[in-house]
Amino acid sequence: MRLVTGPRSHPRLRLNVLRVIVFAALAVLLFRLWSLQVFEHGRYQVTAEGNRVREVVSQAPRGIIVDDQGKPFATNKTSIVMTIDRSVLDRQADSGRAVIARLATVLHTTPAALNLKTRICTRTVGKPCWNGSPYQPIPVATNVAPQVALSVIEHPERFPGVAADTSAVRLYPQGSLAGQEIGYTGPASQAQIADKKSGYTASDVVGQAGIEGSYDSYLRGTAGVKKLAVDRFGRVSGTISATPAKAGDTVVLALDSGVQNLLEQSLANELTAAQQQGKPATTGSGVVLDWHTGQVIAMASIPTYNPAVFTGGISEQDYKALTSPASGDPLISRAFQSTGAPGSTFKPVSLSAAVASGADLNGTYACPSSLPIGSALFHNFEGESGGIISLHEAIVISCDTIFDQFAYNAWLADGGLRNGSGPYSPPKEYFTNMARAFGFGRDSGIDLPNESSGWVTDRAGELKIWNQMKATYCSRAKTGYPDDPDPADAELLKEYAQEGCTDGYLYNGGAATMFGIGQGQYLSVSPLQLATAYAAVANGGTVFHPRVAKAIVGQDGSVVKKIGPSVAGHLPVSPDVLSYIRDAMIDVTRRGTASGAFAGFPLDQIPIAGKTGTAEVQGHNDTSWFASFSGEYVVVISIPDTGQGANFAAPVARQVYEGLYGVGRPALLPVPPAALPKVTAP
Amino acid sequence: MTSLLPGTRPPKRLNRGPVTLEPLSGPGAATSRARERYDISWRRVDWVLAFAVLALCGIGSLLIASATRQYQLDHHLDQYAYLKKHLLTVGIGVALAILVARSDFRLVRAYTPVVYLASLAGLVAVIAVGSTINGARSWIVLPAGFQLQPSELAKLALVVGLALILGHQRDAGATGALGTPGGRELLQALALAAVPLALVMMQPDFGTTMVLIVMVVGVLAVSGAPARWVGLLVASGVGFGAAILNFHLLKPYQEARLTEFLKHSSVHTSSIGYNVQQALIANAHGGLLGRGLFTGSQTQGQFVPEQKTDFVFTVAGEELGFVGCAVIIALLGIVLWRTLSIGQRAGDRFGTLVCVGVAIWFAFQAVVNIGMTLGIMPVTGLPLPFISYGGSAMFANLAAIGLVENVRLRSPERLVALRGSAGVVNLVDS
Repeated sequence: MRLVTGPRSHPRLRLNVLRVIVFAALAVLLFRLWSLQVFEHGRYQVTAEGNRVREVVSQAPRGIIVDDQGKPFATNKTSIVMTIDRSVLDRQADSGRAVIARLATVLHTTPAALNLKTRICTRTVGKPCWNGSPYQPIPVATNVAPQVALSVIEHPERFPGVAADTSAVRLYPQGSLAGQEIGYTGPASQAQIADKKSGYTASDVVGQAGIEGSYDSYLRGTAGVKKLAVDRFGRVSGTISATPAKAGDTVVLALDSGVQNLLEQSLANELTAAQQQGKPATTGSGVVLDWHTGQVIAMASIPTYNPAVFTGGISEQDYKALTSPASGDPLISRAFQSTGAPGSTFKPVSLSAAVASGADLNGTYACPSSLPIGSALFHNFEGESGGIISLHEAIVISCDTIFDQFAYNAWLADGGLRNGSGPYSPPKEYFTNMARAFGFGRDSGIDLPNESSGWVTDRAGELKIWNQMKATYCSRAKTGYPDDPDPADAELLKEYAQEGCTDGYLYNGGAATMFGIGQGQYLSVSPLQLATAYAAVANGGTVFHPRVAKAIVGQDGSVVKKIGPSVAGHLPVSPDVLSYIRDAMIDVTRRGTASGAFAGFPLDQIPIAGKTGTAEVQGHNDTSWFASFSGEYVVVISIPDTGQGANFAAPVARQVYEGLYGVGRPALLPVPPAALPKVTAP
Repeated sequence: MTSLLPGTRPPKRLNRGPVTLEPLSGPGAATSRARERYDISWRRVDWVLAFAVLALCGIGSLLIASATRQYQLDHHLDQYAYLKKHLLTVGIGVALAILVARSDFRLVRAYTPVVYLASLAGLVAVIAVGSTINGARSWIVLPAGFQLQPSELAKLALVVGLALILGHQRDAGATGALGTPGGRELLQALALAAVPLALVMMQPDFGTTMVLIVMVVGVLAVSGAPARWVGLLVASGVGFGAAILNFHLLKPYQEARLTEFLKHSSVHTSSIGYNVQQALIANAHGGLLGRGLFTGSQTQGQFVPEQKTDFVFTVAGEELGFVGCAVIIALLGIVLWRTLSIGQRAGDRFGTLVCVGVAIWFAFQAVVNIGMTLGIMPVTGLPLPFISYGGSAMFANLAAIGLVENVRLRSPERLVALRGSAGVVNLVDS
C-alpha cells in the first residue's frame, strides 16, 4: 500500500501555509519592534526619564534685610526641625510603625499626629498633610530642644529615616518697626504656584508684602535640587545630580531704623495728643525722603503691625484681627497705599501751573476773603483777606482765592464746562498736566508692592468716567432709589443721577477751581507722591521713583546690585520758578502758616522750606498736612481726622527734623550715609 | 505491518558508523536492535535546533538575572537567587529533553495516556487546591517554594495525544479518503481536547485556553481534516470568543486585558494599561542597540510588572535594544522553522503532527507574548518559550523539544539526507 503525501495532499500544503503564517507573524513583530524602538524612541525617552527621576528640593536660607546702618530688620532664627523620610520608613518591615511610635514618645506627641503630618496632601486629603514632594524629608516637629534632637540622631538604628535638620525661621528683630515696608513671608499662594514664570512650588515660602515681596527674587536665593533615581516603588537607587542650595542675598535699605522709629513715635504721640483734644483721629502717616536721590529714609503709617505674626503661617484669628475695621487696617500703609486731597500743600504745583498758563511770577494779585464763581462763593481760608500780594506772600500766608482764581481762569480758557471734541482748539489743561508732571495721578514707582496712584482728573478723564457710569446714572434717573429708606435722600440721589445722566461729562467748574488749592473731586494724592513732588521742587526739578532699598549684597559681602536713583521725569518748570517757590516756602516756617509750629527751631542753621495743608474730607474732620524739605530731606506728614496742617502735621515734621539734625538731642542722620554698611552673613 | 523505519539501510555519506546512544545498554543484539529502530547517532541530532534552544535559554537566564537583581539587592537577598533557580530549571529541562529525545518512541506512545491523565489530574487538583496568582487558579504550591502549573503539562499531553489520534490510524494504514482523518478520529481528537480545555477554562486561564484551542485547530487543519471541519472549528471558536466578550463570561480583569491592547494609545488608567504602558516605555527606551545588560533604568527600576515572567521580553527590549530583540526573534524563528522542517520530514504522520503541534504552541505563545509587550496583542499571561522564568513551562517546553528531536532521530535517514531539497517526498512501502 502507499502512503501518499503528494501534491494533492492537504497536509503538506497546510503545513506550508502554517509556516507562512508563523513567519508572517514574526515579521510583524519585527516591524513593530523597529517602529517602537527606533522611530518612537525619542518620544518615549522623555517618558522614561520622567519615570525614574525625582527631584528633592532643599530650601535656601532666605536673605536678610538690613537698614542703612546694617541693623537687621528681617533675619533668620535657626530652629531644629525633626524630619521623617517616608521612603526610608516605608522600607521597614512594619512600614515604620515602630519608629513613628518611638519618635512620638520622644517628641511628646502621638503616633497618629505624626502620621497625619506625614501623609501626602491630595485633593481628598486635607491639612494636616505634607504638600511637598514625597521624596523630601517631611518636617514633623519644629523648635525641637537640642538634647531631644541629639537623643534621636545618636541612635540611627532606633530611628531610621528620622533626621534633625536646621531650618530658618523668619525673625523680625525690630518688631513692628517699618512693618508695612518690610512686609512678611508666607506659603506661596495658589495664584503664585499657577504662575509658571514665578517658579514657585507649593512648599515655597514667598515674600508676600513690602520689601519681602518686591525683592523676593533676591532674598529667596536658589533652592538646592537633588535629582534622585528612583524605582517603581519610589525607592532611591542613586543620585543623578545635586546642586546645593544658595543662600539669598541681603537687601540693604535706605531706610534708617532710628529715623523710622522717631517718625513712628512722633506720629503716635501726635495721634494721642489729637485724641486727647477730642479729635477722632486714628491714623497718621509720614514720609522722609533723601531729595537728592529719592531714597526713602523713613516711611510710616500708624497703626502698624508686626510681620512676625505671619511667620510660619498666620492663624485665622490673627488675620481677622489685622483686617477688622476696629483694628484700623494696619496692613494698609497710609503713606503709599491710600490717597486723599492734599489741600494747600498742593500750592507749589498750582503756582507752577499758573506761571505756565501765563501768570506773571513777579506780579501781584488780589487775595480777597471770598471769590464768587458761578453761583458759589469761594472763601479764603478762615475768611481773611490778604489784600494785593505777591505769589511769594500767597504761599507764605496760604491765600486760597489767588489760586482759586488761577484755576478758574484756566478752566474758562479751556472752554469751561465744555468737554469732548469740537470745532475748537483742544484744552490746555495747565493744572492737571502740571499735577501729572509732579508725579500725581500715577504710581510713584516705589519698590514696594500695591501702591495707590490716586488720581488727577482732566476733561478727557471726566469723559472716560462718564462713559463708564452713564448707563448706571441714566437707569437710576428713571428708576430712582426706591430701596433707600430716607425718601428725601432718595430724591436727592435721583436728581444727582438725572444730572449725571445728561451732564455728567461736563467738566465741573467748581471742582476745577478747587483743584488749584488741592481740593475737590478731581485730585487725590498719597503722602509718598507729595514727597516725591516736593523732592523735585527741592532738587531743581527731578522727579524720582522713590527707593526703599539701595543695594543687594551677596553672601560674601560683594555688591550684587546697586539700586541707584531712578528718574521718573523732570518738571516742566524753569529753575527761576522753582527757586521762587523754595524761597517762599522757607518763609512759611519763618513767618508764615507754619511759623508757630517751628517757633524756636534753629531755622538759621537749618532752614526748612514747608507748606501747610488742610484738606476738607466729606463726613470727616480735616486732614492735617505738612510737606517740607531741608537741605537734605523731604518730610511729609499727613494726619486725617484732625484739623489744620499747622497744628498737627507740622509739629510732627519738626520733631523729625530735630531728630535728623540733632536739635536738643543727638543727631540721628544729619546727612544720608553715602557708603553701604558692612553686612555680615547671618 | 508496514514498517517505515529505514534503520536497516546503510547511511549515505557516512564515514564512521553511527554512534549509538546506548553504549552501555548490554549485548550487541540490543545495540543492533536499537540502531535498527532508532538511529540516534549524535550526528542526526538537529544541532541547529538544539543550539537555538540553548541560546534562547542562555539569553533568558541573563534577562531574568537582570530583571531580578535589583529587587534582590533592595531586599538584601542573594542577587542571583533567581538566576540560580532558573539555571537549575534549565538544567533539569535539558536532561528531560535528552531523556525524551532518546527514549523509545513506543514508550512515548505508551506513556502518552499516562501523561494526559496526569495532566488532567493536575488540572483537577489545581481547581480543588490550587493557589490563585494574578486572578487565575493555575498553580499548585509545593513545599520548598516550588510551584507546579499543570496546564503546561496539559499542553504537552495534548500535543502528543492529538498526534496519536490523528496520526495513529494513518500510520496503521486505516486511511480515510485521500489520507485525511475521518470524522470519528476528528471527534475523538475534539473529545480529547475538550476535557483539559474545560478544566483550564475553569481556572480560569484564558491564555492557556487560547493556546490549546489554536493548537487543536492547527493540528486538525494540518492533519488533513476536511476544510469544512476546519472552517466550522474556526467559526465556532470566533463565535465562542464573541459570546465571551458579549455576555461578559470573563472576569472583568480578563476582559480588560483583552480589550486594553485595542486602545493602548489612549490614556492608561487601569493597572493593565499601566503594565502595557511600562512595557512600551521600557522597550522603546532601548532604542537600536539597547542600554546594556543590567543598566536599563526602567528594568533596574522595576517599572515593568511581572518582568521576569510574562514581560521578560521588555528586559531585552530595554537592555539589548532592537538588535538583541531581533536576535531573540530570529532564534525563535529558527526553532519554529526547524521544528516544522523536522515535522515535514518525519517518517510518520504522528511525528509530523507532534512537530506541528509543538510549533503552533511555541509560535502562538511567542507572538502573543512579544506582541503583548509591544502593545499589539492582549495581555493574556502567556510565558515566552525558553525565556520566561518558571519551571513548569520550561520543563514542558524543553520536553517538547526533546519530542521534536526524537521525531528527527527516528526519521528516515534518506529524508534527513535530502533535507534542503524540499522536494516532493514519497514514502513508498517496499
